[in-house]
Amino acid sequence: MDDKRARFEGQVLPHLDAAYRFARWLCRPGDADDVVQDAVLRAFRGFDALRGSDAKAWLLTIVRNCHLTAAKQQQRRGLVPLPEENDAADGHAMIANNDNPESEAILSDQKKVLDRLVASLPEEHRTVLMLREIEEMDYAQIAAVTNVPIGTVMSRLARSRSALKAKWMQEVEGAPRAVR
Amino acid sequence: MQCAESLRVQAYFDGEVDALTAAEIERHVEHCGECRALLQDLEKMRTALREGVTYAAAPQALRTQILQALDLEDAALASPAVRTKQRSMPQSKGWRGRSFWTGAFSGIGGAALAATIAFFVVMPSVSPLSNELVSAHVRSLMPAHLIDVVSTDKHTVKPWFAGHADVSPVVSDFESQGYRLIGGRADYIEHQRSAVVVYQHGAHVINVFTWSAGGRLPSNTTRSGYHLAFWQQGDIQYCAVSDTGWDELLGLVRLLHEQG
Repeated sequence: MDDKRARFEGQVLPHLDAAYRFARWLCRPGDADDVVQDAVLRAFRGFDALRGSDAKAWLLTIVRNCHLTAAKQQQRRGLVPLPEENDAADGHAMIANNDNPESEAILSDQKKVLDRLVASLPEEHRTVLMLREIEEMDYAQIAAVTNVPIGTVMSRLARSRSALKAKWMQEVEGAPRAVR
Repeated sequence: MQCAESLRVQAYFDGEVDALTAAEIERHVEHCGECRALLQDLEKMRTALREGVTYAAAPQALRTQILQALDLEDAALASPAVRTKQRSMPQSKGWRGRSFWTGAFSGIGGAALAATIAFFVVMPSVSPLSNELVSAHVRSLMPAHLIDVVSTDKHTVKPWFAGHADVSPVVSDFESQGYRLIGGRADYIEHQRSAVVVYQHGAHVINVFTWSAGGRLPSNTTRSGYHLAFWQQGDIQYCAVSDTGWDELLGLVRLLHEQG
């Protein structure tokens, strides 16, 4: 029977949304789809190597590797420069694909501000923060996905959180009507 | 400028410290205004991010595309005989319906276990039950909340539940395997009086919550640094919660299942 496929769909594909979000935090807006598809196929080919129980961290690690490979290739071809730290400062990287433009229009201001501030964080800070707060991964999982020691995860998290708070305070001071 | 404990306070907030360190940090925070403010900021930011950030689900088109790519990949790998079978499988069943509990066993090992414990792998990622269990676990770690009946003897703990909970779960001491029975507690989970069996593994507390089977179980998950392993034995649903590693937690699950 098609056992491998069934196990893969049961164990790995439930994390497709997380993989996609992670790609959106890592990549330029247009690149996330390709990176995720590439990652899922690679995950399927290498599925036999997944022995531990943590399919999510494993899939996200592959997403990151695919992203790095794609970015390197683009750079070599000279097509697109590597994303700069503040490349996503316009907030596109964080905005959901939405089939209904009206609902996008009524996104509250506060939400938009938060999206923009998060998107303006350097990539390595943004991903660590989102993996912790949105994907609810623990330090060990984040360390595995981002390929850095746990101590680095902790310091990046701290820096990321204090940077986001500073940006938020600045935003609030700049726009007195914002809600806190 | 910044308190030297701030990283440890952050780790405490993220559920990354054991009960002893947590107690230490709680004592520190009582006396350190800066760390108290830090904790409040962390909490506010977490709420703001979880409620406020727009984050996307994978678009349906991408999902479809990926399933098609997997079909191609499959076809390339499969033998001709298998390929024929595949083609006759209805495509429309999609990836949600197809494999119900086939996955999720790799960390546990043991085909007998795989055959009898039902881990439900397809559930929405946010489960109120998981949140309820983590809250109950964290609450139990606060002073004087952990144990109602202190005993390392299953013949004391099990009868105690008869008068205090709606279920009578498996209770056993696994001291020689590293899981020491330290007592039991009654809690309120899934709208019933839940029996909680408390084990100690190294420096970690493992709460095993049990209640009468009703709804579908969520899949194993990690919340705020705590791992949750769900399973069902007979008509009782179980959830083991701890900040210990997955392997250690699933080790206890395996032992309990062998008892049952």
